[in-house]
Amino acid sequence: MSGTVITLGPQQLALEEPMYFSVEVDGEIVVGLDVLAGHVHRGMEHLVMKRNFYQNITLLERLCSLCSNSHPSTFCTAVEELAGIRIPARAEYLRAIADEIKRISSHLFNCAIIAHIIGQGTLFKRVMEVREIMQDTKESIYGNRMDLAANCIGGVRYDLTPESAVYLGKQMERIKGPLEELYRIYATDHAIRTRTEGLGVLPNRDAINYAVVGPVARASGIDYDVRRKSPYWAYDRLRFQVAVEQAGDVRARAMVRLREAREAVSLIEQCLVDLPPGPLCSDTLPEIPAGETIAKSEAPRGELIYYLNTDGTDMPVRLKWRVPSYMNWDALQVMLKGQRVADIPLIVNSIDPCISCTDR
Amino acid sequence: METRPVINPIPPVRLYRINAGSCNGCDVELAATAAVASFDVERLGCCYSESPAEADIVLITGPLTLRVKDKVLRLHGEVPKPKVTVAVGVCPISGGVFRDSYAVAGPADDYLPVDVNVPGCPPHPRAILAGIAKAAALWRELSGCGQTLPEPAVPGSYDEDAAAPLGLRGKMRFNAAACVGCRMCEHVCAGGAIRIDELGPGLRFTLWHNSCVFCGLCSHYCPTKALTVTDQWQLSHFQEDKFSLTEQGFIPFVACTGCGHIMLPATPELLRVSYRKTNPEIERLKTLCPECRQKQSLGGIRR
Repeated sequence: MSGTVITLGPQQLALEEPMYFSVEVDGEIVVGLDVLAGHVHRGMEHLVMKRNFYQNITLLERLCSLCSNSHPSTFCTAVEELAGIRIPARAEYLRAIADEIKRISSHLFNCAIIAHIIGQGTLFKRVMEVREIMQDTKESIYGNRMDLAANCIGGVRYDLTPESAVYLGKQMERIKGPLEELYRIYATDHAIRTRTEGLGVLPNRDAINYAVVGPVARASGIDYDVRRKSPYWAYDRLRFQVAVEQAGDVRARAMVRLREAREAVSLIEQCLVDLPPGPLCSDTLPEIPAGETIAKSEAPRGELIYYLNTDGTDMPVRLKWRVPSYMNWDALQVMLKGQRVADIPLIVNSIDPCISCTDR
Repeated sequence: METRPVINPIPPVRLYRINAGSCNGCDVELAATAAVASFDVERLGCCYSESPAEADIVLITGPLTLRVKDKVLRLHGEVPKPKVTVAVGVCPISGGVFRDSYAVAGPADDYLPVDVNVPGCPPHPRAILAGIAKAAALWRELSGCGQTLPEPAVPGSYDEDAAAPLGLRGKMRFNAAACVGCRMCEHVCAGGAIRIDELGPGLRFTLWHNSCVFCGLCSHYCPTKALTVTDQWQLSHFQEDKFSLTEQGFIPFVACTGCGHIMLPATPELLRVSYRKTNPEIERLKTLCPECRQKQSLGGIRR
């Protein structure tokens, strides 16, 4: 046994968030891995129990800024389920639009980081510039580049006026070309293929055993997408392909994300065509009865599950999450074993780990 | 090829980022200031540094969790003096929505000397640039590198008077004349940024912009829209102004014309929401307290 243990931090891993890995190495090769978590632990489970349902909408949007819309929308879905509220049809479409906009931004940010780690500085900047189309869109429609504040209990808080719907349609037209171009670059560029193909492989069998979700699962041949398996909001009326790849390597995960970004554009366009008229919110101040429920959705990183328990007051008794990154980063054990130390940053970022979701 | 010698080159001011337990919103926006041309920090004569020992300005994001506190303090200590510290986003400034948690040690200025605050959740990259510009000017002054800032390559890229990006959710505005004192804003505010106190002859409304996360939920639920979202997003300020960056208002009580009891006034906005249009009867009843109004209404039925 080699017994050499090194600690890698955010600086070495090119992570935006403080996350440390204790890696056991034999020379250049990884033989064991331990995650040193908790740096972004903000006591969310405690905080949500001290805030009422309305405050929690805003608080949960700050659970993580990259999947910031998935949290409040899934939370609102859980509360609505308890209160027996069916949100208006228009709100179902508007929630789907907000989620898909965030999905494109989130996936592009991960693709940018992957380019940065490979050492493709120009491509990194190019992806970030393409992402700015989505940032501008969010800012103009929702008023913020990260936290949309789109949801409220019983529906949504924002509306698409005829003008803003036209603007959103134009922005989707603008981003189509660049997304195709990025897909082609990631699929064919020799330097990128050399660095990503066959790297950090998660075989289908291990993917099932580790119960990974989201793009990580779909890149290992698991055809699982909450939007398809148990449709929520408007997703049962929308047509889309679930992006599935078989290779299970870093490249396959990047390809799944880029394909999903293209599908998201199509989903937003379908929503704009089908957007029904009507109210945005069913009941502004509903009573939330005692009970417990589960709500789930497909966040950019995979299946997000909310468990909510209430006692008839306006504060949750218990709110518990199962966030996608929690399932995915355990599978790093498989992906990293036998890989070179120098490839750790690339493999870790290929699962698009969200530390603030997981540490909470 | 003709090359011209660079006249009076100004060494770049080096920035070092510390994530103190952030939700990564501000960090992603900081990444934008490194990658996106229109927000590039290099336009301010700054550059990012990977090492705290080779930095001049520290940018802190996140509420400073207990778990990272010591690491953050150590990294901050490694930055040579004179250093300037910028708190990016409301989390390091006040704790933001995460305040009062057992796991949060912040605000950052309890442990570190903070010089510049950039409120926002997350702040717009241009607001971050304005904060960095303030910090860079301060650092040049402290370090004796007294050169002035280079002119921005694109006019208005970071100056404070630049037009707001269309539709941006900026700071909240309070109109005391429209407020009915229902306290819904205080109830829905996740950051605890709003407080309404009863103060002798009326209600005092206070909103701290350094605790506000600009979600606009207070405005959404305000029945008379006494709270509105403005497009003012340039809020970076020096530490000495931290606690004066507030929105205040006073709602004076009025006396009931029937019995003289003090009560909250029925504002024109409330009457508009309730009745759309008023008539002389409503105008008369609105000056009465609920009890007197009841008596009047009962009398009306008998008549």
